[in-house]
Amino acid sequence: MRSADELLDAARRGVRAAGGEALARAVGERSVTARLARSAPTQATDVERVRVEILCVRDGHTGLAVATGLDDAALAAAARRAHDVAAAAGHAGPGDFPGLPAPAVARGHDGFDAATAALDARHAGGELGAALAESERAGVELAATWTAGAVTEAVASSRGLEATDAVTDAQFKAVAGPLAGPRGYAARTAVGAGAIDVAAVAHEAIGRASSRGRPVAIGCNEVTVVLGPDAVAELLDLLGAMAFDGRAHAEGRGALSGRLGQRVAAPGISLSDSVRFPGTLPRAFDAEGVPKAPIPLIQDGVAHRVVHDVRSAARAGGGQASTGHATTPGGAVAGPGPRNLVLAGGGATNEAELAAPVERGLYVTRLWYLNPVRAKETLVTGVTREGTFLIEDGRIAGPAHEVRVTDSVLRLLSATEALTRQPRLVGTTQFYGPRFAHGVVCPALRASGFRVTAAV
Amino acid sequence: MLDALVDLMDAAASRCAYADARWVDRSRESASVVDGAIEAIGVSDEEGIGVRVRVDGAWGFAATQDVSRAGLEGGLRRALALAEGQPRRPGAAPLAPVGPARGSWEGPCAVDPFGVSLEEKLGLLLAADEAMAGDARIARRRASTVAERTVKAFASTDGAACEQAFTECGGAIVAVAVEGGELQVRSFPSAHDGDVAQAGWEHVRALDLPGHGARVADEAVALLSAPPCPAGPTTVVLGSEQVALQLHESIGHALELDRMLGSEAAYAGTSWVAPDDVGSLRYGSDALNVVADATLPGGLGTYGWDDEGVPARRFRLVEGGRLVATLSSRETAGATGLGGSGGAMRADGFARQPLVRMTNVSLEPGDGGTLEDLVSGVDEGLYLETNRSWSIDDRRLHFQFATELTREIRGGELGGLRRNAVYAGVTPRFWASLDAVGSAEAWRVHGLLNCGKGEPGQLAHVSHGTAPARFVGVDVRTAE
Repeated sequence: MRSADELLDAARRGVRAAGGEALARAVGERSVTARLARSAPTQATDVERVRVEILCVRDGHTGLAVATGLDDAALAAAARRAHDVAAAAGHAGPGDFPGLPAPAVARGHDGFDAATAALDARHAGGELGAALAESERAGVELAATWTAGAVTEAVASSRGLEATDAVTDAQFKAVAGPLAGPRGYAARTAVGAGAIDVAAVAHEAIGRASSRGRPVAIGCNEVTVVLGPDAVAELLDLLGAMAFDGRAHAEGRGALSGRLGQRVAAPGISLSDSVRFPGTLPRAFDAEGVPKAPIPLIQDGVAHRVVHDVRSAARAGGGQASTGHATTPGGAVAGPGPRNLVLAGGGATNEAELAAPVERGLYVTRLWYLNPVRAKETLVTGVTREGTFLIEDGRIAGPAHEVRVTDSVLRLLSATEALTRQPRLVGTTQFYGPRFAHGVVCPALRASGFRVTAAV
Repeated sequence: MLDALVDLMDAAASRCAYADARWVDRSRESASVVDGAIEAIGVSDEEGIGVRVRVDGAWGFAATQDVSRAGLEGGLRRALALAEGQPRRPGAAPLAPVGPARGSWEGPCAVDPFGVSLEEKLGLLLAADEAMAGDARIARRRASTVAERTVKAFASTDGAACEQAFTECGGAIVAVAVEGGELQVRSFPSAHDGDVAQAGWEHVRALDLPGHGARVADEAVALLSAPPCPAGPTTVVLGSEQVALQLHESIGHALELDRMLGSEAAYAGTSWVAPDDVGSLRYGSDALNVVADATLPGGLGTYGWDDEGVPARRFRLVEGGRLVATLSSRETAGATGLGGSGGAMRADGFARQPLVRMTNVSLEPGDGGTLEDLVSGVDEGLYLETNRSWSIDDRRLHFQFATELTREIRGGELGGLRRNAVYAGVTPRFWASLDAVGSAEAWRVHGLLNCGKGEPGQLAHVSHGTAPARFVGVDVRTAE
């Protein structure tokens, strides 16, 4: 694992090699992932890698090149390519990139756990063994994934920015039950692997899989629903892209375009991007080195802000500045996005209290394959998966068949009646590409009119 | 590099039941013009080695960017340690046998995309962007290209020692129109990053992105004021790109043998199809013939050998509506008693271990003629084109898809635009409603870059050959 000093040195050399206006971001990763299926180990992966992104800015155009070595030759080659593509774009006239951000000091955080960073890869097998022991005790088949990673990052720019950051993350999720029968799901994500009790998570999943009785079919209808934190997080993660991308907002494509200052959710809904909220996965700065700061997105049900990178802020005009939400140096075409969503908790003690006033409704553990149908209206579709129950007379009455749901996320938040007090972190990344752990901190909630559109 | 991998495998042979090592060097260039501005020109090079070992039935995989001989040995040691630390797996079936992969293979490339000047590429994108400009209701225009070259070397303790080279190119244009609360989008030649093929820059030139810009923008604007799609069961003709997505989601993934065996239950899911269903399950109508073809010219799932050294094959998955085979690996083939792997193991770069992935899963041409011929047989129905939204359950059984464009069909002819169509179904019932498949002249290959699976996540590149197809009694809804 490369040290922060090594990465900062590489970033400095990348900036020097680029000459002119440039930013370099060096990221080192060490991660381990191990999986179970049908109560047997399947795959185990140990990854060490590093990448240096060099952004050159020429006449308002950006060129981004990525090197996977820290030696001078690799950095020089990447810098040359970044320069060449930015210069080639300049032949078409000046571009609209406003320039690199001024240096600013980022605050520290508690998102690094030294013990997790130092984990031996063989530790993964021990964690899976603990989960297996739980499944053998219960006589229930288990599929599971345990993963932990450490990511160190350094950013330097021609404007004098120099900063480093180090984060860790760990996640365990379990799916219990036979392939052809009702299954249960449970998962936990944390900064440190030591904070996750693998056996307890497996036990929770097994409990959900072991509910007695035949699943009850729920017809296509609008039902009152209690959504567990995993289901809420899936919806909010998608809402983040549909509603708070400052670039889409500025272009009139966003779900909140023209709606800031208006009520878009129930008064009990306060959603923010809060990078240092207890239980989240903090980080110090974004991909352009801009310090991250908390931003209210929906406050007491009223739409407040969207998030920006350097490019989207310039597009938005009105003197707006980056809010520290760049996902790529120079800004991604897809736009900036919140990565530390926090939905404030409500007054309910637990999920049972949420279910208590429900005469007949659904409890949903998680949602799957959610995708926008009409993003501007936050209309999404997806299916329930592994842990859907019928609520009758205020209590969980037994398992329910899975269903397809097609509903608007903002409508659901407008119809939210109550939330549990204590939110928890739900990991919302599957680690495609370089490791970048993020998640949503949210409680369970109860909402009316949940739109079930098909039985599954 | 191949010699070093072979030496590493010699060193590994006495330390585990099986090992393989894969060196991957991948270069990528992407460029976008958004609303007339050149942005997001990116280039990357990534080189590294992945070493995979099997010890007492448990796998260990380690990835490193240190490609020295010492780095390779370090990777092997890490993979062994990881495998040895896994819970024991007594009784795991041996891998299905395969002859040693030897030699080299290279995909087609007439015009080296990395030899084409950036000026030419940007000129093409600016022209395509300009062709979409003009109407104030267009909130965003985007034109993009991508080029990728991957060079691989592979060796295993079963005697494999082979090298391969792949070149992929593609492009796309997208126009987003907004008026009031309504947003409509049109893409060409397809959604999902456009049409990418295993080919050189000649493929991008042939797409003629500027030539389609005005139509794409006009259609996006016209959809803003189109009537909502009528709801109810009806006859539907799907454009070939939407057939490709339908095939991908409800047949390709469902027939991955690792999913069928439960290996992906913790993330991607399982399958409604069981291994025992092969040979007897009716998957669809007699018109349904599906082939897995890793030899398809230009396909993104085309190669000499998969990432276990199994040679590329072409074989039927579904014949006359009946399931006849699955997509398999050496491990899944061994576990189910197949004589050999179907050669469908692939990995995303050096830092991921191979998984069962689709090769080019294609719907074979039928005798339905052209799109116009298929439409001419419909008295009243809908034509749906270009995917906009997609969702399917974790068993690949219940799906709901939406398309960008809908046209009414009346009296055997395409009529006016309709917007916000959604259709839903259950996989075997939907494919049982397949009434006709377009003929060879309407059949074309569609490339996708965003097929996700695995933990840590992997994106696979895969193509599907399809023609427009007609389905009866489809559950169509409106998303309004």
